[in-house]
Amino acid sequence: MLCWQNNLSGVLAVIVASFAGCISVSAVDFVRDIKPVFSDTCFKCHGPDGKAREAKLRFDRREHVVGESAPDGLIVPGQPDQSELIKRLSASDPGDRMPPPETGLKVDAEAIAKIRQWITEGAKWPEDDRHWAFVPPESPEVPAINLRTARFNQIDHFVQAKLQEKGLNPSAQANRATWLRRVSYDLTGLPPTVDELEEFLEDVSANAFENVVDRLLKSERYGEHMGLSWLEAARYADTDGYQNDRLRYQWVWRDWVFRALNDNMPFDQFTLEQLAGDMLPNRNFYTQVASGFNRNHRINSEGGSIPDEWIVEYVADRVETVGTVYLGLTFNCSRCHDHKYDPIKQKEFYQMFAFFNNVDEAGLGPNNGNSPPFIKVPKSWPQLSDAETNYIEPTKPKVRIQQTSVPRPQPGKPDTVMVMSELAKPRETYILNRGLYNQPDKSQQLRPETPESLGILPESVPRNRIGLAKWLLDPKNPLVARVTVNRFWQHFFGRGLVRTSENFGIQGELPSHPELLDWLALKFIDIDWDMKAFQRMIVLSATYRQASEASRKMIQRDPENVLLTRGPRKRLTPYQIRDTALFTSGLLVEKIGGPSVKPYMPAGLWKSISNRKYDQGKGDDLYRRSIYTYWMRTIPPPTMMVFNAAEREVCSVRKELTTTPLQALTMMNNITFVESARFIAERVVREGGENAGQRLDYLCQLLLARKPTRPERIQLMQDYKSHISEFRKDRKAAAALLAIGSRKRDAKLVANEVAAWTMLANTILNLDESITTN
Amino acid sequence: MNPFLETEQIMTRRRFFGLAGTGVATAALASLLNPELFAARNREPVRNAIGGLQDLPHYTPKAKRVIYLFQSGGPAQMDLYDPKPDLIRRYNEEVPKSVYPDDRKTTMTSGQTRFPVAPSRFKFNQCGQSGIELSETLPALSRMADDICVIRSMHTEAINHDPAATFFQTGSVVPGRPSMGSWLNYGLGSENGDLPSFVALTSGSGGQPLYDRLWGNGFLPGRFQGVKFRGQGDPILDLYNPGGVSSGMRRRMLDSVSRLNEMQYRKSGAPEIQTRIAQYELAYRMQSSVPELIDFSKEPKEQVDIYGPTVRRTGSYAYNCLLARRLAERGVRFIQLFHRGWDHHGSLPKRMAALTNATDRPTAALLRDLKQRGMLDDTLVVWGGEFGRTVYCQGKLTEKTYGRDHHPNCFSMWLAGAGVRGGLTYGATDDYSVNVVENGVHVHDMQATILHLLGINHELLTYRHQGRYYRLTDVFGKVVNDILT
Repeated sequence: MLCWQNNLSGVLAVIVASFAGCISVSAVDFVRDIKPVFSDTCFKCHGPDGKAREAKLRFDRREHVVGESAPDGLIVPGQPDQSELIKRLSASDPGDRMPPPETGLKVDAEAIAKIRQWITEGAKWPEDDRHWAFVPPESPEVPAINLRTARFNQIDHFVQAKLQEKGLNPSAQANRATWLRRVSYDLTGLPPTVDELEEFLEDVSANAFENVVDRLLKSERYGEHMGLSWLEAARYADTDGYQNDRLRYQWVWRDWVFRALNDNMPFDQFTLEQLAGDMLPNRNFYTQVASGFNRNHRINSEGGSIPDEWIVEYVADRVETVGTVYLGLTFNCSRCHDHKYDPIKQKEFYQMFAFFNNVDEAGLGPNNGNSPPFIKVPKSWPQLSDAETNYIEPTKPKVRIQQTSVPRPQPGKPDTVMVMSELAKPRETYILNRGLYNQPDKSQQLRPETPESLGILPESVPRNRIGLAKWLLDPKNPLVARVTVNRFWQHFFGRGLVRTSENFGIQGELPSHPELLDWLALKFIDIDWDMKAFQRMIVLSATYRQASEASRKMIQRDPENVLLTRGPRKRLTPYQIRDTALFTSGLLVEKIGGPSVKPYMPAGLWKSISNRKYDQGKGDDLYRRSIYTYWMRTIPPPTMMVFNAAEREVCSVRKELTTTPLQALTMMNNITFVESARFIAERVVREGGENAGQRLDYLCQLLLARKPTRPERIQLMQDYKSHISEFRKDRKAAAALLAIGSRKRDAKLVANEVAAWTMLANTILNLDESITTN
Repeated sequence: MNPFLETEQIMTRRRFFGLAGTGVATAALASLLNPELFAARNREPVRNAIGGLQDLPHYTPKAKRVIYLFQSGGPAQMDLYDPKPDLIRRYNEEVPKSVYPDDRKTTMTSGQTRFPVAPSRFKFNQCGQSGIELSETLPALSRMADDICVIRSMHTEAINHDPAATFFQTGSVVPGRPSMGSWLNYGLGSENGDLPSFVALTSGSGGQPLYDRLWGNGFLPGRFQGVKFRGQGDPILDLYNPGGVSSGMRRRMLDSVSRLNEMQYRKSGAPEIQTRIAQYELAYRMQSSVPELIDFSKEPKEQVDIYGPTVRRTGSYAYNCLLARRLAERGVRFIQLFHRGWDHHGSLPKRMAALTNATDRPTAALLRDLKQRGMLDDTLVVWGGEFGRTVYCQGKLTEKTYGRDHHPNCFSMWLAGAGVRGGLTYGATDDYSVNVVENGVHVHDMQATILHLLGINHELLTYRHQGRYYRLTDVFGKVVNDILT
């Protein structure tokens, strides 16, 4: 156990332990320490994939390594030096060494030491060696622990038990303003207003925190913001994604998502309607729209494409998306061969494929417009009359030959939305050799089935998407609840309890807090998949409410805050960054849903590399929330991409955030941000008070939810004086700056002043703190 | 140091040095210098000072940089580099089914009732001392024939533009993987601190569209993506200060941002803030390095003129060729031009002539210019599209004109410069230019060869994503040693 001591040896111990993990005397845990090494470095040639297996050796099965089928001498328990495995791993002759150098795979000294220790300790391989994520969670005991914080919930028991084990203390609670800003951003994507800030700071009632959370959960901005990650996972976009990137109309599905989240539709229903909304016994117009989830994939409309080839791609995309979103598994790795790491056979990939292979669809997309099947959306959407909520028969594809021999379906008009619809007679599904459309293995026709290692579908369950959804939502499913709560955790903490939120398989990372993850998963099921209640619990936990500041030592020891000794500190999403500028300037036009809009874009950006022209919107369209920005997949909006938005080409549940100079250029010079700075400046001059000091306070409250510190004030006031004196000398400069963007300036205000405040707003917007929640 | 790579490593280093007084530095530095101790499972490997991977290059590279002239649309091999003079006698005959079966024709022509041979209307000449045969549409390139290595035996898998171009750029027809330049950025880092190390330049119009993913980072961190230079407006998006903001004012603002960020760093301790401070400085430096880069006024007029009459038109192919040379001079590692317009389904002779007229001279000028500066010795130049075209005519065949459909089974490319045997023709196709009959070079082989010339073993440049180690060449690719010096 490590203690924080204020002497050199204590500090040194911490540094060494954190950087050089090899100095460790804890007992070897097979699942934690050994199996991942086998998987990462041996499975490629000695793993589940029978076709790739070399020397009949496999490291994924107990009996083949330490049991009856193990080769003699591979492992001699208690005697690492006699064990062939150790000899091979540490061989100096490249011809003997495993893994072979040409594979590029390496078992490092630390791992060899672990394997050595494991063999010394008897090479124990547990009977039940299933990968942790394939074993259904069992209710863990909530650790009994004396919490030092006044407000806490069960989450904190788990987190603090771990800290005590490590001899660490949690951080103090964040100050109220910091928490308010954090929770407002996390639940609605926008910062608190100055009024909301003041109201909360003055609220001494016992329920002050709960009241804030409930207010935010009721806001319609909640659905827009929480829907974003779902849209990215569902690869939602406004174009088909290939070649000419023809347009489509799928925003009605997007609006359905926002509405479902705002209505707090339970996650099981949310899932069932999206996976099988077209097939349910009580299906209706809304559930049909929901089924559009499985039509958001890219569709190839390039002339000359071979239809059968592309239908396979669409179906594979559905398997991959459902596999990632619900199961946290990389199904696509088993499309051409058995999975190299996880127990998913190639055949099982195509059995999953069979669930999605019965859609009455065409292989090629139309030239612009929705690809059938689609349904007509009433003009009154989203306020439908009772009659309009009835299920309607989707328009089926009518393929006609165009341009000599290109088989195209009819395009759906702007008043349609793409949905799922089953063929009367299911398409036949076979294993495709090497994953190729023209190489089916016709020896065995496959019916829809779930992978054996995750639990077979009972015979009583229908072999269709309803059955699949029910299987996913079965409380005994080992993955779905864990994967889902982990994504929620990632949303609030910036890092999942399983860091690889897209991969819970053997090659994924182990959970940092396995008991907490299981407890959360079971809790989520227990509260009937109530997303808002679940998220409310997270943001009210003491863990979430901690301050995020950390000592240099703590950052060195735990740079990613895995142990949760501090609160989350996250850079804002590109959507939040742009929305904040619009919101704080008062330019934001808040309107839920509707067709996507085309805000500012540099001239020629589309035209220079494509055959489409960007018709920039006018008026309100320039100032809608970023989630409504038109998404052309092959040329996605640069302001979003520069801050690491998902491309929306394929399913994405996690993006690496990076820091580049292009981000600086965007924040300093991009028209949206400069225009916003202008209108923040106008607000500051108009509402911020009489003198510059008061105005500066107001500016900082608007953008940072706090007043400036003394040194900050000194710096910024000095800047203000320099800027205004320059603008006084050069009136044209002020006029030029205040002419940026399409919104006219308020001529009643003094131009020099507004221009100088524009520069200060530009300065504050460019601070790291502005695009970060602390 | 490269502005497009995070400076965190450097910052971390500096802070470790700052710790020296405490006596902790030794332990900390030891772990920094020994990547095995430092690199945890699932993390990116430790990077060296210029941002490349520590064990790269794997061997001494012959090429320091690449200029890749991507010809989007699929140039017709038999009209440019793969002469089939005997086909003139087979004009309008059916291409035998034994040579060209029906099963892999695009649906743009698979419904045609006839597949008549359309011989090239262009004459070929033996060029240079090596006698490489080049089409009469390439007079300027013909004069550089001894510097190029023509490969006639390229082949690919995809038959449509989008998947085929994506395949060339990323090694996979399915989007989501990093482009070649992005891999290089990740592996080798940069030699210039003020410019991105992977630049994409686009030209041409009305042809096949391009996609941001062609220079995208795929699953690599976003800082490795190519930076697109634009032919209009700001050369890099949002490069210039807004109207009314003087450069003095911008400097003041940046100083202030830097100071305020530093205060915040002292309060929160988050290392990302230091990274951000550095990136703002680099952005400011780019505001002056890029305008200098695109300012041709200091080039001797004659030198500019060799690129042809359109070189002064911002965003033209000729302009991009000259810009490519200037980027190369400044240490930019991977410069990729994309020129649209080679998708000649109809009126091929006329359109081909127009296109080669616009691109031949600048292409050859680039080679000559590099050579004169001694830069061709360590610069690899690549010319090629995403696939070839059919020998059979698409649409109506006449004495004067014809069209050609997409054709993945064979096509031509050329390489020049660092480590490449100039004056060589490599590989061969059958009498109809339908299939490769000798020394086939697959797309993955070309990728492996390009990486090889940069000192990289393509099998060892990997990145772990979704639990798997990915590489540019998937699980394929072999270096084409025959064409190397």
